[in-house]
Amino acid sequence: MAGRWGRGPFLSCALATVAVGAGWTFDERTAAEVAEPGAVTGRIVVAGGQVRFAGDPPAGAEIDMSADAYCRDQHDETLMDRPVRVDPDGGLADVLVRIVNAPAAGTAPDAEALLDQEGCLYTPRAVAVRVGQPLVIRNSDATLHNVRVVPASNPGFNLGQPLRGIQSTRSFETPEVGIQVRCDIHGWMTASIHVLEHEFFDITGEDGTFTLPTLPPGDYDVEAWHPTLGTVSERVSVTAGETPSLTLEFSSG
Amino acid sequence: MTAPDDRLSGLRVCFAAGLVVLASTLASLSTPQSLAGAQAAQGAPDGMALYEAGCASCHGSDGRGAAADRIAFDDPLPDLTDCSFASREPDADWIIVSKAGGPVRGFSDVMPAFGEAFDDNQLQAVMDHIRTFCTDRAWPRGELNLPRPLFTEKAYPEDEWVWTTSANAEGPGAIVNELLYEKRFGSRNQVEIALPFGFAEDSSTPASRDGGPASDWGIGLGDIEIGYKRALLHNLQTIFSFGTEVKLPTGDSERGIGSAEFQIEPFLALGQILPGDAFIHLQAGGGLLSRGHREFAGTAEHDEDVREAFFHAVFGRTFTSGEFGRSWSPMVEVLGSTHLTGGARTQWDLVPQMQVTLNTRQHVMLNVGVRFPLTDADVRSTQFLVYFLWDWFDGGLFDGW
Ligand code: HEC
Repeated sequence: MAGRWGRGPFLSCALATVAVGAGWTFDERTAAEVAEPGAVTGRIVVAGGQVRFAGDPPAGAEIDMSADAYCRDQHDETLMDRPVRVDPDGGLADVLVRIVNAPAAGTAPDAEALLDQEGCLYTPRAVAVRVGQPLVIRNSDATLHNVRVVPASNPGFNLGQPLRGIQSTRSFETPEVGIQVRCDIHGWMTASIHVLEHEFFDITGEDGTFTLPTLPPGDYDVEAWHPTLGTVSERVSVTAGETPSLTLEFSSG
Repeated sequence: MTAPDDRLSGLRVCFAAGLVVLASTLASLSTPQSLAGAQAAQGAPDGMALYEAGCASCHGSDGRGAAADRIAFDDPLPDLTDCSFASREPDADWIIVSKAGGPVRGFSDVMPAFGEAFDDNQLQAVMDHIRTFCTDRAWPRGELNLPRPLFTEKAYPEDEWVWTTSANAEGPGAIVNELLYEKRFGSRNQVEIALPFGFAEDSSTPASRDGGPASDWGIGLGDIEIGYKRALLHNLQTIFSFGTEVKLPTGDSERGIGSAEFQIEPFLALGQILPGDAFIHLQAGGGLLSRGHREFAGTAEHDEDVREAFFHAVFGRTFTSGEFGRSWSPMVEVLGSTHLTGGARTQWDLVPQMQVTLNTRQHVMLNVGVRFPLTDADVRSTQFLVYFLWDWFDGGLFDGW
């Protein structure tokens, strides 16, 4: 049962490069808010970062939806199963970017995150929630999906969602990156759930960009995680008035 | 001592009571009943449509399992049209699996949980549809597979191994083990073989009386038993069977392990489901044992043959811990036996006991009980009993924990 996570032979010969070109700017307006006696005052905003993929992304395979007429009829064009989604500009999508040694966590938001199934595809392909934050798992298709969630550190589950509009809410109590989600009826459907204990993370969009909340000055480990390319991390020093940038390089796993 | 004329009266009352229950049950057996029929009232959920929407993608519209190229997993799918497999699983167990997913009963995690998609009514309708896949009504339903008592033979045909150990609480010591193998064949039949063996203290050794170290323990083989059973009638609440056991004179009667007598024991057995997860087992039979067959081989004399009759009745109820947890079945068993010839009186025993499922799949169980003699308690010992049961059809001994 090799899923998406078991594949990726192209990795063994290719060297993928992800460049985290983060624009770190000094935000003077908020400096006073975090001022502590004797502490360095100031705040850094990490804005408009990007994860990039250097080289030619693997071609991917055609998705054959013919086993389920409903799925097939939702798409005019032939869909490609692309584990590595790179835009023409080189931006890499579906990457979780997070600070590993983040400052103390604030309270988790009550707002629900959403993992939807639409046209027999997961939307989004990767979803990140805080520990305890509700995650709504919804079927927007008029066909049966099962949502099998296989964590390593959290309890797993497998939801049968036979009807359009049906949804279930789950939350996770232990931080965990890269929880596998799959549908056993439609083998091309895979997604990742990330559970984080703080708010210093983002998932790159189609163009590979991400935004992290403001960070106090300090040394931080930035980690980028992709379901098939693996993990890349780099240490970054954030000081008032500087705009650091870094390049992360994926090597074969 | 009871006068010869009175000595059977207790047993007669029991037989009479048993016959009344039997007769009323047999009458009800002639009326076909089905869950599907009960559900067919107006507004009942459409089980077939729900099955098509929720299950057919994997299990196939015909219940045999979807073709490998239409699904994205390798785990084998059960054949729901196979009566031998499907008939023995009670609806309630399948509803639990459908509600909470495969792992709740030790099955694959590919089997999803539908508890948030379908309610109990809808799942019952799905079950009723699944029940149409096996078309042979000769197979008794798994609901009738009631918890197994320590002594009474069930009416339901089984595939299982049972290891029973018993020990006397007082008097000459004896630890007797019995390894029992039961195997179903066809829709209604079962054969079994029981191999008893044990350790016993020789009661004739004076030292053993005061428990001194000089007691003489020995190991011995008991009376090997072979048996056949057939379910004659069954509906959703009741099962009625006939069977025969043959005891071979392989035992060591001097050590009290087996009687070393040849015995044929035909019996009738009834299992009845009562409301509220309660149930009854009844078993009645007779034994023809020939005592003198060694000495009088070929010239068996009538007054050396002994006719025995026995009656077993069990009342129990199953409790579940949590929604999907362990099953606990307290039972109380009454055993009566008498010799129809000779001077012995009717013997009665009471056996309170508790059966519990040990693993998640619930096909490995334990039963612990005590047999209290109600008659001749001064010469008959209280006995502790425990059995370990493995329903091997439901999976390996180490599966589903
Ligand atoms: C994603 C595929 C899938 C779907 C959808 C699915 N099942 Fe299953 N089911 C399985 C698999 C695989 C097994 C085998 C589990 C095992 O034997 O370990 C199974 C086993 C079962 C069993 C247990 C049989 C036993 O061995 O006792 C029942 C009952 C069952 N399914 C009922 C249903 C019902 C009812 C539905 C619809 C409401 C359904 N299933 C939908 C995959 C599925």
